[in-house]
Amino acid sequence: MKKLIFSLMLGALFHSAWASNEVKVEVVAEGLSFPWSLQQLPAEQGGWLVTERGGRLLHIADDGSVNTIPLQLPELFVTGQSGLFEVTLAPDFESSRELLLSYACGSLSANTTCLARARLSANAPYETSEVKQIFAAQPLRKGAAHYGGRMTWLPDGTLLLTLGDGFDYREQAQNLNNHLGKVVRLQRDGSVATDNPFPDKAAGYIFSYGHRNSQGIVYDAARDVIWQHEHGPKGGDEINRLQAGKNYGWPIASYGIDYTGAMVTPYQDLPGVIQPMYQWTPSLAPSDMALYKGDLFAQWQGDLLVSHLAGKRVQRLRLNEGTWQLEQTIEVDNKARIRAVEVARDGAVWLATDAAEGKILRLSPTGSESRR
Amino acid sequence: MLKTLIAFVIAVVAGAIVGSVIQTQFNLAALIELSVPISFDVRISTIIHDLIHFSPIFALLLAVVLLIALPIAALCSRKLGGAERWWFISAGFFGLLCCFVIVNYVAPMPTLIAATRSWEGMGAMALTGAFAGWIFDRLWHPLPRELAEPLI
Repeated sequence: MKKLIFSLMLGALFHSAWASNEVKVEVVAEGLSFPWSLQQLPAEQGGWLVTERGGRLLHIADDGSVNTIPLQLPELFVTGQSGLFEVTLAPDFESSRELLLSYACGSLSANTTCLARARLSANAPYETSEVKQIFAAQPLRKGAAHYGGRMTWLPDGTLLLTLGDGFDYREQAQNLNNHLGKVVRLQRDGSVATDNPFPDKAAGYIFSYGHRNSQGIVYDAARDVIWQHEHGPKGGDEINRLQAGKNYGWPIASYGIDYTGAMVTPYQDLPGVIQPMYQWTPSLAPSDMALYKGDLFAQWQGDLLVSHLAGKRVQRLRLNEGTWQLEQTIEVDNKARIRAVEVARDGAVWLATDAAEGKILRLSPTGSESRR
Repeated sequence: MLKTLIAFVIAVVAGAIVGSVIQTQFNLAALIELSVPISFDVRISTIIHDLIHFSPIFALLLAVVLLIALPIAALCSRKLGGAERWWFISAGFFGLLCCFVIVNYVAPMPTLIAATRSWEGMGAMALTGAFAGWIFDRLWHPLPRELAEPLI
């Protein structure tokens, strides 16, 4: 019996090693300062836009060359966790050249998550113009933690933006009169989406509430579902199926406890609170999420790719009979902290490592053609 | 020396236990304000959880604070006069207050102990330092008059 258990364990070990070995890792660019998000441009050989938390917007060409795109964000606030977060393209980017950028704005004593719109020039070397702040989450708060800052477009052309609880204001995630700990839904010009679930609260922007610090959100067109993840405290990171008007529990229901060991709440579940579809205890600190769709990893269709900071890995999860199950763990670059994950049009997976000398990495199947 | 050590350890343990129970009440009060039901059983189980998981960290903070603050208080008492007891009580209180400010400045999160987010919470938690200072004085070398005082 002991032999059987031993051989099963050995088999699992080799399977895990093999699973990592099926992925080839290429360094696309290096020397980036805390890159935060990746966005592929639609043109063939158009390269990628990359944000750095310090406030720089970069263009990475297909040959790996990195160029800074001049950008002046109104009231950009950079310290601690704050700074420039994500860049996303407007649905009609090819004609409008419009970008949306989430970032922290204000000062240490009064700041929040903001959204700006900018226009990107048509040709390299790229420039931005008409930069304008179009949304600022309310109210302003002290400190520099928990901003959210991830975005996804919905089929109706509205935008979901995740917002953090500001750390010291966790109870406000349950208060529908502000934007702390919420996901908000906006029109692309920053105005409120008209059919949000709480039109009379917090200027009508709230889509869902009870979030701690959400840094991953994707719209799954094939299933017509929004997937979102958020950092728990010590334990209790969550993947949620996001629905309009629902309460996701923070801080009244959580699988995590405070960093000091104190209980945040005695409840993991409460009436009226949506349970996570997947939870990580201990925490891995999920930093971004992408839905796989592409040709290179043919077996991964519809799987979720989740990058982790403290967990220093990417996890691939598969939806199986209504629950997410861990399929594969990928560690890269000597167990680097990973800040962003994105799927390229060719099916390769792009990652940004979270470091002062951050790297952009490209994952493809072992044996597949390299990028250049 | 042994007497000092025993007095110190008991003061730290007692302060950490009281501090843990106090911070639990602040956290539960915040939930009750959000209409979360907290029964007596839930309150007790939360207190026990925090005694197991929170109080060791708080004891560590308190021990460091008292290691610095109590000798300073003893020195002040000898040089400046005044009741040693009140020097120790003040040392525990203001030592913990300083500790909260420093820890929040150094730690990556804005506030390490959630109960100290408000002034009332910070004051109540600092009082556990005062309590620890009083315990230490009482056990270390109390005056006959102090020993004769009723505890409650």
